[in-house]
Amino acid sequence: MAWIEQLLKEGAKRVDEIEVFYAKSTTVSANLKRRKVNLAVASDDCGLAVRTIRDGRIGSSNTNSPERWRECLKAAIASGDLATPQSWKGLPRPATGPATDTLCFDPALAVEPENASQLLTAMMEGSEEHPADITSGSATLSSTLITLANNAGLYLTSRHTGVSVSLEAISGQSTGSEFAQSCFMDIDPRSVGERAAFFASHSVGGQDIPSGIYDVILSPIAYAELLSAVYIPALSGRNVHAGRSRLATLLNEQVLDARFSVYDNPLLAKGLGSALWDGEGVPTRRIDFIRDGVLKEFAYDLRTAYRYGKTSTGSAIRAGATGGTAIGHHNLIVDGPRTDITKDRAIYIHSVIGAHTANPMSGDFSVEMSNAFWMEDGSFCEPIRSAMLAGNVFDMHASVAGLSREVRQIGSLVLPSIRLSGLRVIGK
Amino acid sequence: MNLPSGVRYYDLRQVTGQTTLIDIDNGVVESAGISFFNTALLRVLGPHGWGILEIDNFEPGSKQKINGLIQSAVRLAAITQQDVRLADAPHRALAVPRMQEDPKNIDLEEKTRLLSAVETAAKLPGIVNRRANYIERIEQVRFSDSSDTEFSHQICRSGFNMLAVASRNGNVQMGYERMHSIHGFNLRHKEEYGKKAAERALALLDAKHIKGGRMRAVLDPELAGVFAHEAVGHASEGDLVQEGNSILAGRTGVKIGNEQLTIVDDPSLPEFGFEPFDAEGVAVQRTEIIRNGIMNSYLHNRETLAAIGEGIPGHARAMPGEPPFVRMSNTFIENGEVSFSEIIEVCKTGILLKGSRGGQVDPGRGIFQFNAEYGYMIDNGECTEMIRDVSLSGEILSTLHDITLCGNDRAMHPGYCGKGGQSVPVSDGAPHILLENALVGGRGLD
Repeated sequence: MAWIEQLLKEGAKRVDEIEVFYAKSTTVSANLKRRKVNLAVASDDCGLAVRTIRDGRIGSSNTNSPERWRECLKAAIASGDLATPQSWKGLPRPATGPATDTLCFDPALAVEPENASQLLTAMMEGSEEHPADITSGSATLSSTLITLANNAGLYLTSRHTGVSVSLEAISGQSTGSEFAQSCFMDIDPRSVGERAAFFASHSVGGQDIPSGIYDVILSPIAYAELLSAVYIPALSGRNVHAGRSRLATLLNEQVLDARFSVYDNPLLAKGLGSALWDGEGVPTRRIDFIRDGVLKEFAYDLRTAYRYGKTSTGSAIRAGATGGTAIGHHNLIVDGPRTDITKDRAIYIHSVIGAHTANPMSGDFSVEMSNAFWMEDGSFCEPIRSAMLAGNVFDMHASVAGLSREVRQIGSLVLPSIRLSGLRVIGK
Repeated sequence: MNLPSGVRYYDLRQVTGQTTLIDIDNGVVESAGISFFNTALLRVLGPHGWGILEIDNFEPGSKQKINGLIQSAVRLAAITQQDVRLADAPHRALAVPRMQEDPKNIDLEEKTRLLSAVETAAKLPGIVNRRANYIERIEQVRFSDSSDTEFSHQICRSGFNMLAVASRNGNVQMGYERMHSIHGFNLRHKEEYGKKAAERALALLDAKHIKGGRMRAVLDPELAGVFAHEAVGHASEGDLVQEGNSILAGRTGVKIGNEQLTIVDDPSLPEFGFEPFDAEGVAVQRTEIIRNGIMNSYLHNRETLAAIGEGIPGHARAMPGEPPFVRMSNTFIENGEVSFSEIIEVCKTGILLKGSRGGQVDPGRGIFQFNAEYGYMIDNGECTEMIRDVSLSGEILSTLHDITLCGNDRAMHPGYCGKGGQSVPVSDGAPHILLENALVGGRGLD
């Protein structure tokens, strides 16, 4: 795009380095109210983020009006003037390899309202397998083109497509919900509908349980909710060096059960976060955060790496269409020996209410269970009406009783169900 | 007005503005900059439901251009099936309260210096991290609809967050303070916020965990406000009621809480959730959700008012460029008559919970959860040991009967509320309240 070239040229006259991130996306979505489509939305979004570096001062600005790039450049430089200077060794230069990333692109995914409509219909059909009413649902299709360029000659483009569906159902006073998302047109909306209705209807008639210590199985959803609130932020190099991570001083120490590993695989086939390079153009690589229970690595972007004498791990993530960079991950995987974890009786928890209220520093949480059941021999048995689960996300990993064979992608996490022993449940 | 064929109604809501963010982390100015945006939402009501266009970087143009966009929205509406009706509602715009000091008149450098003073004030022995953020958002909103309603306003919301982290022998705790307002620049002489955050983090290192279970709890105005928001506010939102996803559906006129309890949502109140008119150009007004323990009124937009009635419109809200739906604004429990010390005395044995780390609700199931930043044991009518990481959960319908005392010291606290992927500014508030039989979650042992 000519204006991007011009922006790089103008910027290079005034600062040491300049970087342009431009995303343009088309999205269509449709929402259900009960069993009827209530609205359909189409959007054309764009986001421009400009970053400048002068004498180690990093400036940034963004806008959704790309023709105002001159103002955006000016605002970025002005913001850099106020930033504290830091050690800086340059933006990435062009590397050999492809200049276009299509790992998350499905050319067959058409961003059309009729497709959203069909996905909703399929979910409704699936929901009919159990006695539950639909309260709401949605289907979204999108396509995005991203350009990342800098004045060191880097010019990369990536194409992304996405489809996501969700359904909420109710049976009496029992609710259930499910969702699915993919970069490819390969989701199964029928099963999403069936699962939402199953959880709503199967939770009817739940019984109270006494407070006590129990074996608990967290579904990939419940596990993802707790990991996102607490564990994952502690792996960010920025939080580590800033004193906001409980893992900061534990490098090369045992932090998990020795059978388990946590790693980021940016090249996972059909991974929702798969990418050849990160949000700054640094080639991505596998990051072994925890190998055989031992903490080996933290995640770094360029800014944090340069500041603390480390190397970028290709972990810069762009937050939102107009967002700046932050440290994140691509496809974070929790792995270890797989067993049948549902044989012996335990409490199965589909999701939790209030994971975001966990203490991100200490890891302590107490949350309400949602769609909890007794589980035995792989079957959902009696539903549990209502109870709280309390514990510590860091400490609970010391008593992992097993990981399930199946895994599920929840956003950029790839997780099994996890069985934990000795968790505190506060009943009614 | 002549409407294009197949169109029953349309409206256009354009929001332009700029955001100023400053981030100071352990003395380092990570960023201090301005970003700007321009986005619009065109909603067209077709023969059945809505066709909606989100338009980034919108430039108002000729009638022909608008008609072209309307036709695109009509094509989207073609896949809808629900017969949406809109209730008549009064259109009126309130004046935005004048700011004492307009943040626009203060340069970025001075803002950065003032924020740095707050951040530096948290520098106490034992504090391992200090992080301060300043957020200022100026929005110009222009609304017009096919009934010739035309309103516009400009509002500036600004404020700061201060996080302090204390660490000792692997025990990591945080203290958090924040201050956000629609009344103008509020960053001068705020060093005490930094100090308070640091002192709280340090004190929490020695706080203990409690063993969960049923007990009597006194909630401070901030946490009781979150309770009003999570336990009652969401379940009274007309769209959830319409979808059959609220435990409060069909309960207007029914006594659902203690008779001392009145819970209100009021977007006209000059607090952080203030709206001069709602996202459909509808007049905003005080809405008593629960009056003296009796379910009184749902929160509505025009669509949900037409569908289920029993409430007041003017509660449609949206992020810039996003479809509006029913949201709370300023939600609070009305004052009762007793003082804080009387509440503690009546409580006798229990816990006092203060501050909020947020909450969540499943309105269909009628179950909520929320978390306090810290608290104290109450023994024999006196506050004693400090406690940490305490959550409360409960069932909406039984819990409302268990609020047995409301204090006379209501205060409002600003925050943001997420729903359907959109986050809007709100405030919550209450006096101190006494909650019997609270289900408290904690990981402590005997």
